[in-house]
Amino acid sequence: MNNKIVDLSLIDGVLDKYASVKGSLITILQQTQDIYGYLPKEAIELISEKTGIATSEIMGVGTFYTQFRFEPVGKYLIMLCQGTACHVNSSELILQTIKDELGIDDGETTEDGLFSLKCVACLGCCSLSPVMMINEDTYGSLTPDKTKKILKELREAAQ
Amino acid sequence: MRIVIGQGSCGIAAGAEKVRKALLNTNINKDDISITGCIGMCYLEPIVDIYDGDKLTRLVKVSENDAQAIADYVETGDFSKIESLTVSDEDSEFLTKQTRIALRNCGIINPEKIEEYIGADGYKALKKALSMTPEEVIDVVKTSGIGGRGGAGFPTWFKWNAARQSEGDEKYLICNADEGDPGAFMDRAVIESDPHNLIEGMLIGAYAIGAKHAVVYVRAEYPLAIKRLTNAIEQAKAEGIIGSNIFGSDFSCDFMIKAGAGAFVCGEETALIESLEGHRGMPRLKPPFPAQSGFWRKPSNINNVETFANIAWIINNGGEAFAAMGTEGSKGTKVFAVTGKVKRSGLVEIPMGKTLRDVIFDIGGGMKTDKEFKAVQMGGPSGGCIPASLIDTVIDYKALGATGAIMGSGGMVVMDESTCMVGMAKFFLDFTAKESCGKCIHCRIGTKRMLEMLDRITKGEGKEGDIELLEELCYSIKDGALCGLGQTAPNPVLTTIKYFRDEYEAHIKDNKCPAGECSDLIEYRIVEDKCKGCTLCARNCPVDAITGTVKNPHTINTDKCIKCGKCYSSCKFGAIVKE
Amino acid sequence: MINLTINGKAVQAPEGSTILEAARLADIYIPTLCYDEAVEVYGACGLCVVEAEGIPKLLRSCSAKVSEGMVVNTESERVVQSRKIAMELLMSAHDGDCVAPCQLNCPARTDCQGYVGLIANGEYDAALKLIKNKIPLPASIGRVCPHPCEKACRRQNVEEPINIAQLKAFAADMDLNSDSYVPEVKPATGKKVAVIGGGPAGLTSAYYLAQLGHSVTVYDMMDKMGGMLRYGIPQYRLPKEVLDKEIAIIEKTGVKLVNNVKLGKDFTVESLKADNDAVIVAVGAWKSSSMRTPGEELDGVYGGIDFLRGVIKGNPPEIGERVAVCGGGNTAMDACRTAVRLGAKEVYVVYRRTRNEMPADELEIREAEEEGVTYKFLTNPLSFNGEDGKVKSITLQIMELGEPDASGRRRPVPVEGKTEEIAVDSVILAIGQKLVQDDVKELKLNERGNIEADPDFFTTSIDGVFAIGDATNRGASIAIEAIGEADRCVKAVDAYLNDINVETRVPYISKRDESTIDYSDREKQSRINPKVLDPEVRNKNFDEVSLGFTEDEAKAEANRCLECGCREYYKCKLLKVAQRYDISPDRFKGEMPQKYSHDENAFIERNTSKCILCGLCVRSCREVMDIHAIGLMGRGFKTDVSPAFSLPLDETKCNNCGLCVQLCPTGSLTEKFKLDKQVPLDENYTEEFVEIDGKKSSVLVSRYNGKVLRVIPNDEISRNSKLTRDELFKLVK
Repeated sequence: MNNKIVDLSLIDGVLDKYASVKGSLITILQQTQDIYGYLPKEAIELISEKTGIATSEIMGVGTFYTQFRFEPVGKYLIMLCQGTACHVNSSELILQTIKDELGIDDGETTEDGLFSLKCVACLGCCSLSPVMMINEDTYGSLTPDKTKKILKELREAAQ
Repeated sequence: MRIVIGQGSCGIAAGAEKVRKALLNTNINKDDISITGCIGMCYLEPIVDIYDGDKLTRLVKVSENDAQAIADYVETGDFSKIESLTVSDEDSEFLTKQTRIALRNCGIINPEKIEEYIGADGYKALKKALSMTPEEVIDVVKTSGIGGRGGAGFPTWFKWNAARQSEGDEKYLICNADEGDPGAFMDRAVIESDPHNLIEGMLIGAYAIGAKHAVVYVRAEYPLAIKRLTNAIEQAKAEGIIGSNIFGSDFSCDFMIKAGAGAFVCGEETALIESLEGHRGMPRLKPPFPAQSGFWRKPSNINNVETFANIAWIINNGGEAFAAMGTEGSKGTKVFAVTGKVKRSGLVEIPMGKTLRDVIFDIGGGMKTDKEFKAVQMGGPSGGCIPASLIDTVIDYKALGATGAIMGSGGMVVMDESTCMVGMAKFFLDFTAKESCGKCIHCRIGTKRMLEMLDRITKGEGKEGDIELLEELCYSIKDGALCGLGQTAPNPVLTTIKYFRDEYEAHIKDNKCPAGECSDLIEYRIVEDKCKGCTLCARNCPVDAITGTVKNPHTINTDKCIKCGKCYSSCKFGAIVKE
Repeated sequence: MINLTINGKAVQAPEGSTILEAARLADIYIPTLCYDEAVEVYGACGLCVVEAEGIPKLLRSCSAKVSEGMVVNTESERVVQSRKIAMELLMSAHDGDCVAPCQLNCPARTDCQGYVGLIANGEYDAALKLIKNKIPLPASIGRVCPHPCEKACRRQNVEEPINIAQLKAFAADMDLNSDSYVPEVKPATGKKVAVIGGGPAGLTSAYYLAQLGHSVTVYDMMDKMGGMLRYGIPQYRLPKEVLDKEIAIIEKTGVKLVNNVKLGKDFTVESLKADNDAVIVAVGAWKSSSMRTPGEELDGVYGGIDFLRGVIKGNPPEIGERVAVCGGGNTAMDACRTAVRLGAKEVYVVYRRTRNEMPADELEIREAEEEGVTYKFLTNPLSFNGEDGKVKSITLQIMELGEPDASGRRRPVPVEGKTEEIAVDSVILAIGQKLVQDDVKELKLNERGNIEADPDFFTTSIDGVFAIGDATNRGASIAIEAIGEADRCVKAVDAYLNDINVETRVPYISKRDESTIDYSDREKQSRINPKVLDPEVRNKNFDEVSLGFTEDEAKAEANRCLECGCREYYKCKLLKVAQRYDISPDRFKGEMPQKYSHDENAFIERNTSKCILCGLCVRSCREVMDIHAIGLMGRGFKTDVSPAFSLPLDETKCNNCGLCVQLCPTGSLTEKFKLDKQVPLDENYTEEFVEIDGKKSSVLVSRYNGKVLRVIPNDEISRNSKLTRDELFKLVK
């Protein structure tokens, strides 16, 4: 895990709102992740304390759903769609291109902390397949060249 | 003139938001620029509709660079610069050949404005329903014959009635918007494009079963849908449509959105309930069924988005009107998400009883490649592949089920001859194995073992008896798995074996992939006569396996080649062949 | 009450019962792995499926309720197929060894890991009893056995195998040197069994049949019992005093021993059959095999076992100063080393392959060499040449190794025209032995000329007559093989005497894939061998060469055991269900979900690679104890049971209540024994009551050989007492 100190006061609001609302664990985790970009161990322990839900349960839920992460992610989180239409339209080539360009595998982050790659279930933009989402933005009808261009632009924008 | 930009997720992904911003930077009156949801012609996005009174000019594949031309047209009526953007007659047929009920407002109204929904007869059905008894409402739904649009087609009235009959004051009406089938996106489109239609359908349902709480479980991958639905709920609350004593009646209902967190299995209703309660989405044992003991162990009814999207129409137009469409066993319309190698991809709503050919060829325009149509995958990972020979199969729960596929939620992924069917089965098993919750043995280990076997076959390591062993395992998993995910996981394997057994055998016996897709079983070769020596392939090769000098035929060093196919797709002369 | 039919039987069950509950009320077995009354139904394992008439789907009986008139089948073909596949899948992802490879490779299935572990703990009498469950002559066998167990021992992948055979001899010697263990004998059955032949096979069958209460008499043609152990193994390897003591113990179980009577002369199989309820033929193979080499008939050419028998009986044949022994097995070693001890000056071992292919034990080969034996590898006798009818020399064909043969060893082929002649005074042919067919002419022989006996039931051509050991089927083999057959034969004979059927199918057990086992974290510890007499001393007499283990040596050697076999073998529910079905999980061989690992605290050991994800541990920790120390992590194939953040158990709220261990249907969670070295043992669990804080509380006490091994809390009071296991131990008498 990383050694950064986690400012736990950031989730006070989330916990105030949901800690005592039955069945809110997933919502709490989602909002916590929105704040930190991932689920820090310290935050999980605090959530456990405030909600009375054991850490083993929280981790059980956290590791069940693909949305949750336990390590910080890069500035740009690339979510590459693995849906059927994308598969039929050669999303494998796009995956290879991203791997080649960034030198990372599914689930990994580039050393400069700029990009993380995650293969995800169908994004529902099948008509534009192959598709990826980078943070909130969706990119469709990808080709290897187009993908390279997008990554290059983002890298430049970050500098 | 009104300028309406299609802003479903697809449209935005294609650049619709950029177009909108560019238009806002022109002289067009900002109040005249608005948005709509998904028009359904996804392959033509971004789409800009220009309404001059009732006259519609539809522009397709618009880019931000076209904004000024549009502004000029609005200002001067100069059509010349945008003429090339107008939708072709052929493409227009994509919509005109459809019968839209669930999608009736999609791409027409602004999903962020309740007034537009109300303007389109919105919430009239709710009012009407509240004037009826719940039993009468259930009766209308029964007359309509509508079945669950999530896949199984189970009669909606029956579920409503069971939940209504269930004892207890506290009941829940739940909408399953965890649209997880890869290749299906009609639910997303409905929520993004017509969220009030969903709310209205749900409120009618809640009234019918006697629930005071309505919950929508939306998958996390649909942020725009969540945003628009949240907005719609706020608006409905403000209008007194959600809350206490709706429309002055005794009926009160609150509304809640819960976002999923990435687990396909949560489309299974008991897993969905577990997830709603904040647990791991692992299916519960049935019995008890949710109608008796569901969310918080209270009677609960769960329907899919598309089912609810039909309800208001059915109440307004009567069950008979709905039942007038379709076949004996399958009433009304069904929305399909047509994608893959088809020319016109997007959302297609047609009455049951049409054929696959109607959808794929008549509306979808056939193949977008020059290869032959091979099969259509229906029903996602729970469904199967229907071969070209069965293209005239009627769209009907029973007829589709007879092929080994299912209606499913309506994903139709069209494949041409370049798709390997073993690879397709492997793709789906990879999906189900990843999405298996891990609770029951048959699914947790069975899907993994099937995947391993399929993987070996696609690598040329299959052995005699593998097909039979796969079949044996498939039947056992169908029988033994705890929930629908596992029980249907073998379908893609069984249907591909059923219709494409020779393709499996070619992999196993001859180490050949007839579709030329399995990289371990193919080799790339440059046809000397066709190679012009442009060097493009050599430059694209990531491992420097291609040598040759300018204007002279190149060669591929097969020892070095990693079969990534980049040369194949880069060659402009068709000089590279897969064997 | 609801009336229904299960498997054709009318059953009544209270309304609201599940089918499983109804079946259990009616004593109808339905397998389950994830069900326990202590927690809510879960439905994961799917083994409890049943078929009900009119319902198209299989029902999980743990949740499906009974209804009036329901017709249920719990064992239909479809149900069995579903369970079978479930078990195959489950076992394909269950990375564990039920039984250690040493035990599996022992032809008698001796629980090597068990007794080695007990020796490590200083529990010598328990070790001896465990051995005697399978071998009645362990002091003798420990000395002479070529120990297939050690060949399978995984410790050799670290450095060298455990010295299992010598440890067995050690435990047996301890027993022989004090009050020897004599097993309990069941009440007399009144059945009589005659055993022909008092070798290891005959004695073993007699020993176990006697324990079952049958009246057994062993008839043997020699002066004394022991067969080849006595007349084929030299004194320096197996002192006959040791054998005598072990035979005396067998006699104490009530077995009657009759010597100097010969089949075909003093009695026939049929005559014994007439007087007994069953007859076991275990006559052995007493004729030396011929090499069909010219000159074999010359004086001074002896058969290996004939030679050894002569020496043992005190009338050694004339061998002169130069002796050639032909053969590469243990009998050849025995012969050459005996020849050395008789004073021969030059002793050659003529063997057609090389040292690497010699079937003899490596230790024997080395010790013979130390004693002055000369090996003539890659040579084969072409002829024995004589003068006046007496052998004078051997002409040897020089060989070389060619392609591997069926046995995997490279085939020796003659080098054209290359021969060698060596001068000899005698030749000993130690190339095998055969049945004397004339003795058993009443029985049907097979094409090899041996008695044809059923491989599972040991029956012969005569009803009630069984045959085992060297005289049967494939012919002569090692003693432990004969002992193993005898043990299994006893079960067949007992079944025959009681007119019942006996299960012969070898039940399924789980085995780890050897290629996936990682030994890198194991510390190297050299194998300890017992001290031996110096070669110069021992080659002049017949004193026992090995001095045997000292207690310290034995303990240290036993402690090297890697503990391959599962500690929960005897109470593993998973295995019991797996063995009910004819499963072959190898069909679905693939990736294992978890890395083989373990996490332990002072009491509980977790090994997630054996976990079947029934969830009983997680659910009981949550639902019953409300402690939540562990949870399900991840999903799908890789789902894992673990504390949050993969913390060790000790850093969770775990209070060591032991409920999870109690409910775990397999060896994924185990409670450690109060023994230093952990051993799989067939313990006896009893519920006992102790007083905790003035309250009567239930605990489960496991005992083995009279000793308390574990105490596991068994009710709310004991579970929540927060007593340590040591404190709990003290409460148990």
